[in-house]
Amino acid sequence: MPKIEVRRDRFFQLIGKQMTIEELEQTLTSAKGEVDEVDEPILKLELNDTNRPDLWSTAGLARLLRILGGGERPVYGFFSRPSEMKEVENRTVQVDPELKNIRPYICAFAVQGPPLDEATLIDLIQSQEKLCENYGRKRKSIAMGIYRSTLIQYPVRYDAVDPDQTRFQPLGGDRVLSLREINREHPKGQEYGSIVDGFPKFPFLQDSRGEVLSFPPVINSAAIGAVEEGDTELFVELTGTDMDSLLLATSIMACDFADLGYTVLPVQIQYPYDTPYGPTIVTPFYFQKPQQTEKTAVEKLLGESFSDEKILQALARMGCRAEIRSGTITLYPPEYRNDFLHGVDIIEDVMIGVGMDHFKPVTPTDFTVGRLSEAEAVARKVVMLMVGLGFQEMIFNYLGSRKDFIEKMQISGDEMIQIANPLSENYEFLRNSILPSLLQAESVSGSAPYPHHIFEVGKVAKKDPEDNYGSKTYNHLGFLSAQADAGFNLISAQLAALLYYLNVEYTLEETEDPRFIPGRAGAVYVQGKPAGVIGELSPAVLENWGIEVPCTAGELCLDLL
Amino acid sequence: MGIDVAGTVRGLHPLEVRVLRAYPAGALVTVQKLEEDLSFNTGQANQVFSWLSTKGLLEESSRRTVRLFELTDLGKDWVNRGTPEERILEHLRSKGPSSLPEIAVALTMESKDAGSAFGALSREGVLGMDAEKRAVVKDPSKIGRIQKIRTLLNRAAEQGYLAEDELSPEELNLIQGMSKKRMATDSPFRTVERAEVEYRLTRDVEPVRKELEQRGITGDEVGALTPEMLVKKTWKQVTFRKYNIKIPPTRVLMGRTNAYCDFLRSVKDKLCSLGFEEFDGPLVETEFWNSDALFMPQFHSARDIHDVYYVKDPTHAKMIEQPYLDQVAAAHENGWKTGSRGWRYTFDREFTRRLILRSQGTVLSAKQLPRAKIPGKYFGIVRCFRYDQVDATHLSDFYQTEGIVIGESVNLKTHLGFLRMFAEEIAGATEVKYVPGYFPFTEPSIEVHIKHPILGWFELGGSGIFRPEVTEPLGVHVPVLAWGIGIDRMALMHLGLNDLRELFSYNIENVRLRKGK
Repeated sequence: MPKIEVRRDRFFQLIGKQMTIEELEQTLTSAKGEVDEVDEPILKLELNDTNRPDLWSTAGLARLLRILGGGERPVYGFFSRPSEMKEVENRTVQVDPELKNIRPYICAFAVQGPPLDEATLIDLIQSQEKLCENYGRKRKSIAMGIYRSTLIQYPVRYDAVDPDQTRFQPLGGDRVLSLREINREHPKGQEYGSIVDGFPKFPFLQDSRGEVLSFPPVINSAAIGAVEEGDTELFVELTGTDMDSLLLATSIMACDFADLGYTVLPVQIQYPYDTPYGPTIVTPFYFQKPQQTEKTAVEKLLGESFSDEKILQALARMGCRAEIRSGTITLYPPEYRNDFLHGVDIIEDVMIGVGMDHFKPVTPTDFTVGRLSEAEAVARKVVMLMVGLGFQEMIFNYLGSRKDFIEKMQISGDEMIQIANPLSENYEFLRNSILPSLLQAESVSGSAPYPHHIFEVGKVAKKDPEDNYGSKTYNHLGFLSAQADAGFNLISAQLAALLYYLNVEYTLEETEDPRFIPGRAGAVYVQGKPAGVIGELSPAVLENWGIEVPCTAGELCLDLL
Repeated sequence: MGIDVAGTVRGLHPLEVRVLRAYPAGALVTVQKLEEDLSFNTGQANQVFSWLSTKGLLEESSRRTVRLFELTDLGKDWVNRGTPEERILEHLRSKGPSSLPEIAVALTMESKDAGSAFGALSREGVLGMDAEKRAVVKDPSKIGRIQKIRTLLNRAAEQGYLAEDELSPEELNLIQGMSKKRMATDSPFRTVERAEVEYRLTRDVEPVRKELEQRGITGDEVGALTPEMLVKKTWKQVTFRKYNIKIPPTRVLMGRTNAYCDFLRSVKDKLCSLGFEEFDGPLVETEFWNSDALFMPQFHSARDIHDVYYVKDPTHAKMIEQPYLDQVAAAHENGWKTGSRGWRYTFDREFTRRLILRSQGTVLSAKQLPRAKIPGKYFGIVRCFRYDQVDATHLSDFYQTEGIVIGESVNLKTHLGFLRMFAEEIAGATEVKYVPGYFPFTEPSIEVHIKHPILGWFELGGSGIFRPEVTEPLGVHVPVLAWGIGIDRMALMHLGLNDLRELFSYNIENVRLRKGK
C-alpha cells in the first residue's frame, strides 16, 4: 500500500478548503485512503488502491477531494489524441531502432511556470518515487527523469549505446564514469543497473549536441539532470517497457504540474518502429478507451436503481465524464486514470460517488445449510477423546528448521517440503510430522509439573511424486506423554482406547524407526495400510532436544482411519 | 484474649481430639505419657504436640536431655546368639574341657576374643586352666556379672533402648563399659542423646474441650469411608470426622482443550450457524490458484519473489485444470468473454504452475467456485504462509478466516447485511461502519470497521463482490461475495495476550493455565 506525505497547508489550499483531521479521514474513505500519522505540518496518508497511482501525490489526491467537495473538473488542453496531435514546435525525441528490445518506449513533455520552491521539489521527488518504485515496479517498467530544459537543444536522442565506451559524470558522482562503471560503482547503478545489465547496449539520453541528459533507468547527468529551487523551465521524460502504464504515468505527472500552475508543453516522439499508438506520438497522450456498462447492471450489483442524473452526478463527483443512452452508461476516463477494466469498475465509482451512507444493509434471505468439513468433524471427535485420556491440546506453527524437523529427529527428511527462498533457516521446512512440534514443547517445559500429556490435531504435508502438486496435505494427530515411568504399555493403552471409540480396528506391527527405541516402536495398520506409529522415544532423540524425562509418543493419519 | 473455639474445633485432627478429651487444662504431658495412656506411637505423639502448639493449646513446660543406650548390630547379635562369655561357658559345660584354640575354632571366634573372654571369666573365678592347659569350669556360682549383662541386653531388646535414669549405678557402670562412641560397631551398645520435652495444656483447652464434649466429638471419628465399611456395614457404628474444607486442594493436571483452538472452533460454529459450509485444501498451492485465478496480474508488485514462499522441489505442478487455465489466461490477456479488457500482457503459463505455500485463504474460495452450489455459502479458517519477519504482530504461518456467498440475491445491500451479521454475531460489535476498500479481485470492495465493546474501533475485515474476470472463467455466472475477517485481534483479547506468537505457544504450563474470557 503506497504511503505519501503531504504538507497540510499546501494540501488544503489545493483542495480549496480547510478540514479537521476527522473530516479529512472521513472524506479520504472515498479515495480508499486513511490518515496514517499526523506529524505537523506533515500528514502521512495511506492509499489502498494500487490501480490509482494518480492519487499518490499531493496534487493528485487533492484533485479528487476537491472535485468530491463540489469543485470543477479541470480541463487539460495539452493532451493529444489519436485524431489530434498537438503542436510541438521543435520539441522532439528521436528513438534509436536498437532500443526496441531493450527499453522500447519513452514519453516526454516540458513545463514552464513559477520558480520551483522547496515544497514542489519535495512533491516532485515523491511522485517520481511512487510512480517508478510502486507503479513502475522499481523502475523496471517506468523510470523518470526531470531536467532543466533551458540547457537542452532539441531534438533529444534516445539511443542504445556501448556501455563501456559511453562516459559521463552522473548526478551525485565526482567524476566521469562509463555506464558499466556506473552500474558497478554508483549507488543508483548498484540498485537499478540489473534492469539493463543483460543487454549488449544500454539506453542513453542526450541532446542534439551530445550533451548528456541521463542513463535511464539508472541516473541523470550531473549537468542537465540537476534540478534546483528557482528553476522555471523543466523537461520531463519517462522510459519503460509497457506503453499504457508509461503513458498513464506521464499523464499523471503532466496533470499534477498543470494543477500546480505550470504550462505543459507537449513533445513529439519519433519511433523507428511501431507502437500500440503508431510510430509518431505526441505526449501527453490520451490513450484511454471509453468503458461501458448497463444501468441494469448497476441496479443488480448495488441492489438499487438510480435515475440517470443521479448516476451522472455520482460519476462527476468521482471526476468522471459519462453519458447515458438507452440504458447504457458510457464513461470517458479522466486523463490520469486507467482503472476501468470492466463495467463493474464504473459501478464502484457510482457507489462511492453516491456515498456509502446511502446504502442500508439488507439481511440476506437465501437459505443454505451450514456444515463443518469432514476433517473438522473427525478432528473434534479425536480432540474430545484425547482430552478424556488426560491430554492437553496444543497448537503449533507449521514451518521450522532443518535442525528441529530433520536432524534432531534423526530422519532423512527426504519427504519433507523445503522452501526455495526461506527468509530465515528457522522457517525453511514445512513439517511432515507433528512429533518435532511436541518435542519442542516438551523441551521448553521441563519446569511444568509432571506428568505431561500433550497432543495436537493439525496438518502436515509430504512429498508425493504421484500427486499433481508433487505433495499431499494430511490431517494428523500427534501425542506425547512425558513422565518418569512413561512406557510402551501406556501409549499402547492410549491408542487402544482412542481407536476403540473411533470404531477403528487396527493391528500393531513392530517397526524400525530411528526416532524410537528399537523393539519398542509399533506401526499402526488400519485395513492393511500403515496409518501411524507409536513407541518409546529414543534417548538419543530426547538428548537432541535436551529432554531429561522419558517420553512416549505417537502419530496417526486421521485421513486413513 | 480467647481463641476461636468453633474454628479450632473444626480444624482438629482426631489425635488432637483424643488428647484434649483425655487431659484437663494445665496437665503435663510427654511423648511417653501419650504412648502409655493413649497407645500413641512416638511419631503420632510428636505430631499431635506440634499441631496443638500451633493452635495455642499446648506450651512447652520443661526440656531436658536424656542419654539413651541403644543396641548396635553386634548387641542384637549378642541378644540372639549369646555373648562370647556365655557361649564359651556353654561350650565347656556341654563339651568338657577344651583348649582356647579348639574353642575359637568350634565357636568361629577370633582367638583374641576367645582369649579376652576367658581372661575376664578366669579373673572372676568362673573358669580356670587344668594341667593340660585346657579351659575348665571352676565355680559356676560366680556368674553374676554375666547374668546382669544378659538382663540389660534383654531389656534393651524389649524396649528398643535403655534410658540412663532407669539404670542402677552398677548397671550404668556396666553398660558404660560396653558402650563406645557413637556408631562404633565393635560394642554391643551405643549412646544416644535425646531431648525429652514436657508440655502443659493451656487454659484455652477448657472451652475447646467443652465444645468437643457438647458436640460429642471423641476423636474416634472415622476419616475415610472404605469399601470394607460398606461391605461389612460397619459404617453404621462410626461417625465421620468433619474435614476442614477450606484447606487449599491439591492441583489436578487434567486433560484440556487449547483456549485458542476453542476460540477458532467457536468462530467455526458461529459461521455454521449462519449457514456457511466449511472448505479445506492443501498447504501447497500453485500460483494459478493462489493469484492468477483471482485476476491478480502476474506483474503485480504484491507477487514479487519476496512475498510468497516457493517450494524447492518439485518446483511446478504437472498441470492446471482445464478449461480453467485457458479461460483465466484469456481473462488476464484480453478479458476473455467477461466484458473486461484484461490486463493486456502475455500470460505466463510456466509461472502459473509454480508451486508455493498458500499465501491467502482466498485460494480456497477460488477453488470452491467451479463446484459451488447456488445459492451457497462457504468458509474456511485457513493456515496461510507469509514472507515476513516473525515478531509480535507477524507470523510466518497463521490463520485467515475467509469465505464466499454465491447467489442471485448477492448485491451491495445484502453484502452490507452480511458484514453487519459478522460484526454483530462474530465480533459482538456495537456499531458498524462500511468504507470503500481495494482488493485486486473484488469490485466493489468494502472494508468493515466495527466498534468492539473492549477494543474500540478497528477494521474487522475486507470484502467485495468478485470481479467477473474471477468468476466467469471459473464457470460461475452469478454474483459472488468474497469476505475475509481478521479474528486474531479478537483472539488475543479473548485470551488476554498481546503477542501473536503466544497463540502458538510451545510452553505447556502457559497453555495449561490459559483460559478464554
